[in-house]
Amino acid sequence: MKKRRVFIAIAITALIVTIILISVKAYYVAIALIVGTLIMGHRELWSLIRRRKLPPIDERVRENVNKSIRNGFIFLVTALAFLMLPFSIRLIETPNTVNVLGGLFVSGGMVYLLSYLFYDRVEPRLGERGLRMLRIFLLVAGISLAAGIISVVLHNVIYGLFIHFFGADFWDRSGVGDEPVFFIIALLSVVAFAVGIIGSLVMFFKGLFSRSP
Amino acid sequence: MKTRIKEYRVKHKLTQEKLAEVVGVRRETIIFLEQGKYNPSLKLAHNVAKALKTTVDEIFIFDDSY
Repeated sequence: MKKRRVFIAIAITALIVTIILISVKAYYVAIALIVGTLIMGHRELWSLIRRRKLPPIDERVRENVNKSIRNGFIFLVTALAFLMLPFSIRLIETPNTVNVLGGLFVSGGMVYLLSYLFYDRVEPRLGERGLRMLRIFLLVAGISLAAGIISVVLHNVIYGLFIHFFGADFWDRSGVGDEPVFFIIALLSVVAFAVGIIGSLVMFFKGLFSRSP
Repeated sequence: MKTRIKEYRVKHKLTQEKLAEVVGVRRETIIFLEQGKYNPSLKLAHNVAKALKTTVDEIFIFDDSY
């Protein structure tokens, strides 16, 4: 009964979000949400239609869901930071919020689906060493993300604080222009982030397409 | 890892669906177990062996070199 309620709650939430997305004319995001929900819930739906009951949530499903939540969360957070970085340093002059959120949604959703569908195949094939590498790459991505966000925030805060206490022309008088340290860290973290994410994807696909041990 | 789940299942005239129902898992989990693509917990391995009226080491064959 509890399972059925959770399933219905997820379905209603997805429906409400879809209606909201359609109302803001984010059609492709709505389509991605519908397709993603159908892919993830197709077994449950099929079982409901055929047997009028939901399939059990066994240990394999629970493990896959946990792993996909973890991986999806890591990717979503890193992708969010990656998208926020250009905003902070004003590389993108006219950001379209819906498109940015849409891209984030789609890419996060793709990784979520990939790990949901294939993680149990990747894990045994990578072996201990491969999994350690994957973990390192994910850590690099995560740490660089954190460093990037903190640097951007500190960059702005320090820039603002010095102007507040020492006057609007402080940075001109100091001779160093804008406060550069955190700005450089923020830029370097983008490179580290890219290395982390690309490395993770390489390890993931290496596991996916290698032969069984 | 290799398994003899299919062999025992056929011997007991059980379908994947029926075995899944007895063990309390999804049919896909039985498929993955039969193909040796999923390492089950000790509890699940024990339940599968019990449903097939055999022992864990009889249906799960581990390669020592791996």
